[in-house]
Amino acid sequence: MAAGYAWFLVLGSVFLCNLMKTLLPSISSFLSKLVQKDAEQESEMRAEIHEMKKEQSTISMMDEFARHARLERKINKMTDKLKTHVKSRTAQQAKMKWVVNIVFYILQAALMISLIWKFYSDPVTVVPSKWIAPVERLVAFPTGVAGGVGITCWLVVCNKVITLGLHAIS
Amino acid sequence: MEPGETTEEKTMSAAQRRAEIRRRKLLMNSEERMNRIVGYTKNDSESSASRRSTEPHFHLDLARTEPVSSSSSPKPSSGHGSFSETLCGSLEDDLAGIRKRTRGDRVSDDLNSSPRPGLQKYLSRFDDAMKLRGQLANEKPAQDGGSDLDEFDPFIVFRLVGSVLLAVFVRLFVCKYLSIFAPFLTLELAYMGLSKYFPKVEKKAQTTVLTAALLLSGIPAEVINRSMDTYRRMGDVFADLCVYFFTFILSHEILLLFGSETP
Repeated sequence: MAAGYAWFLVLGSVFLCNLMKTLLPSISSFLSKLVQKDAEQESEMRAEIHEMKKEQSTISMMDEFARHARLERKINKMTDKLKTHVKSRTAQQAKMKWVVNIVFYILQAALMISLIWKFYSDPVTVVPSKWIAPVERLVAFPTGVAGGVGITCWLVVCNKVITLGLHAIS
Repeated sequence: MEPGETTEEKTMSAAQRRAEIRRRKLLMNSEERMNRIVGYTKNDSESSASRRSTEPHFHLDLARTEPVSSSSSPKPSSGHGSFSETLCGSLEDDLAGIRKRTRGDRVSDDLNSSPRPGLQKYLSRFDDAMKLRGQLANEKPAQDGGSDLDEFDPFIVFRLVGSVLLAVFVRLFVCKYLSIFAPFLTLELAYMGLSKYFPKVEKKAQTTVLTAALLLSGIPAEVINRSMDTYRRMGDVFADLCVYFFTFILSHEILLLFGSETP
């Protein structure tokens, strides 16, 4: 495995984790949209309020007070309903965001622990030890293989490089 | 009717006059009344009258060199002058926007007049901390928005590109003869020299909670600024090292993959 693509596996995992972290807000909003089925109802209510306001503006308050007041009451009622609806939707979105974050961090931790577990004694890649001369032990930690690049070092390096790259792109 | 009307008018005008006098009296004594409510003695209010014209000027001084504790110690002879002077020295330039306490500083006064100077000091610091927290919360969105400026610092881009190129070069020609960290250290030395020739991007002083906490605990602003600067430089070097090592390993693996070289 040391001679294979372990370095690439770790790199890919770190890249995926970072990418997911960047996309986390979009994912949570997408999921909350999926979960909420009454989004259409909300837009309908908005349209209805808009229509009623339009209609109210055409009515003279002096000449047709009763009709105007009735419409006003209707608008108020609908607005209150919409407010309640939006409030519940926002609360649900916040909850969804929280759940998505928690799930993501648990998965990330599990992935990192499993990677460290797997490559605890095998280096992800090997180079001649004199190339990384004064710090070969540090680089090889925790494998102890001379010239090996340990999982810890490689995770740190990949994480930093990918963070820089993603930051530059975004 | 005539005399009745005139007396009524007179009484009305007298009542109005009384009301006016009362109103004036209230307005004239408003400060005193307020002081009485707040709990100041007359002497306190008189001594503070001279500085009433100065507006409250909140400011967290990162350029201040003296610790807060030293300046806020009670000085019976100097009154309230010294603390405000040390506070508002040259900080405005460094961290415009992070506030501290009132210029006409109340701490020294309170320390002189209050029977519980420790409590007053504590309350004053607590007040500062609360204001700082509020400002940090306000600054956060602005900092998030302005973080892009750091990204386009040409020197940082230059450093990263240089590290990548050096890593490829070292893998191709140098690593057989020398440790890969020797050229990297040389490159970092070169960057230190070259940094003078790059336009300095004005880095916004970031007010972190740590900075605020250190400042409030009396550590001189100069020390905090230098530490932050050193920390930033170390971060840059670490980023260079990561990019360099990553590129080196990547190019090594690519060379191995195509079988053109064996280690």
